[in-house]
Amino acid sequence: MDNAGYTSLTRLSGLMREMSVVANNIANISTTGFRSEGLIFAEHIAVTGPRDPSLSMGTAIAHSISAQQGALEQTGSEFDLAIEGEGFFLIDTPDGEALSRAGAFIRNDAGELVTPDGNYLLDAGGAPVFVPPQASAVAVAPDGTISADGQPLTVVGLYMPNDPLELTRRAGTTFTVESGVRPAENARVLQGFLEQSNVDPMMQVARMIEVQRAYELGQSFMDAEDNRIRDFLRTAGQRS
Amino acid sequence: MRALDIAATGMSAQQLRVDVISNNIANMSTTGYSPRRADFADLHYQQLVRAGAINASDGTVVPAGVQVGLGVRPAAVTVTWEQGSLGATGGQLDVAIEGRGYLEVTLPSGESAYTRDGALQRTGDGLIVTNDGFEVNPGITIPDDARDITINANGEIYASFLDHVQPQLLGQLNMVRFSNDNGLEAIGSNLFLETGASGTPLAGAPGQDGLGTFRQGYVEQSSVDAVREISDLIEAQRGYELNAKVLTAADQILGATTQVR
Repeated sequence: MDNAGYTSLTRLSGLMREMSVVANNIANISTTGFRSEGLIFAEHIAVTGPRDPSLSMGTAIAHSISAQQGALEQTGSEFDLAIEGEGFFLIDTPDGEALSRAGAFIRNDAGELVTPDGNYLLDAGGAPVFVPPQASAVAVAPDGTISADGQPLTVVGLYMPNDPLELTRRAGTTFTVESGVRPAENARVLQGFLEQSNVDPMMQVARMIEVQRAYELGQSFMDAEDNRIRDFLRTAGQRS
Repeated sequence: MRALDIAATGMSAQQLRVDVISNNIANMSTTGYSPRRADFADLHYQQLVRAGAINASDGTVVPAGVQVGLGVRPAAVTVTWEQGSLGATGGQLDVAIEGRGYLEVTLPSGESAYTRDGALQRTGDGLIVTNDGFEVNPGITIPDDARDITINANGEIYASFLDHVQPQLLGQLNMVRFSNDNGLEAIGSNLFLETGASGTPLAGAPGQDGLGTFRQGYVEQSSVDAVREISDLIEAQRGYELNAKVLTAADQILGATTQVR
């Protein structure tokens, strides 16, 4: 295939990826604490030869994670926590510590707060948050302090990644970050609320239609290119 | 094509949500019922370009990489515990629990089950049982000649007799709670079983240790909020439609791909 074909192929495969990203955003429209993502396309220059002009292609080179605050839904459950502002809960998973905005916690049989997957929520000191099973009237203050019957028990940790660009997505609405975490300063905890997915359905549908049309455009371009080569071969054949 | 599978996970997630909501609405009038809520989490991520990888063309480090998520999965269906409103029945053996806690009953198999449904009855032998005939722990028998039954906030059952001036104590209803209500296994008929996740039943005096109190002459109504369920239902329905739209769009892209030549 000639260069024009390769260029439109990179575009088409990039659009295919983008379609997957849009589909994943829409599939997670009801996922607590989900942050919508986007793809960033960049020009990729390939050197074709010493005298030939270089070839420019579009590749999906990076993804972006929307940091927009999701809507807060009131649930009334005592261990449903939502974060207002920038910050994450720190979750202890079998694969190491991870950040998460999904605050639907459950008190397990031992009294520790865990995610629906059974991973521990960590406190400001990095230890699992423990609420005694007998404790009643559990209240969580905006700074994360958990108290039962007026007695403070522990403080839910709120953290920020040292480098926000490094957030790597993992299953279970969690992120890992290699450069470590630091305490978040501008975040508040709300008890009895859950942060909903921050996916904007309008934007996603618009993006989806755009991808679909751009793909069809790419396809018709390849058709036109096919016709051009066909015409050339036919004409060249007639002359010989 | 990934988008097709991803949209399918989204549709089945919303379908599960509709199932949970419809069960809540169906139990709008079930004594002591607490609504359930489906929680979701994102599925696996494929790392197409790893963050921190070296960009081959000019040697710079890719800061964010390319990750494609593969959809959504149900993470848990949790019980949102909320006190239901108390409906006055005037029944002498109707007890509602105000606050946390469960009554303990014995199943025919001998296992213990737990319930918040306090609409109790008495058998021909005077034994206190649930609506389904399961014995309430500890087994308390009301003598035939008992005239008036009083159940106080602590669950103590008193009966007055013609030949006694003072009411006589017949027994005390057990009240237990669990560390993790969500870990209980619902078996229908308003009954729950203990599991490894719920923790062992914690007995205590009503009104202390986080336990509620009994109230005679009332039953706890379902705490399902109809308005909330309907708005959730609409949300689930629209979510389903959006995912169906993705499915159609992905199909059209796939159709366009097959026409490329």
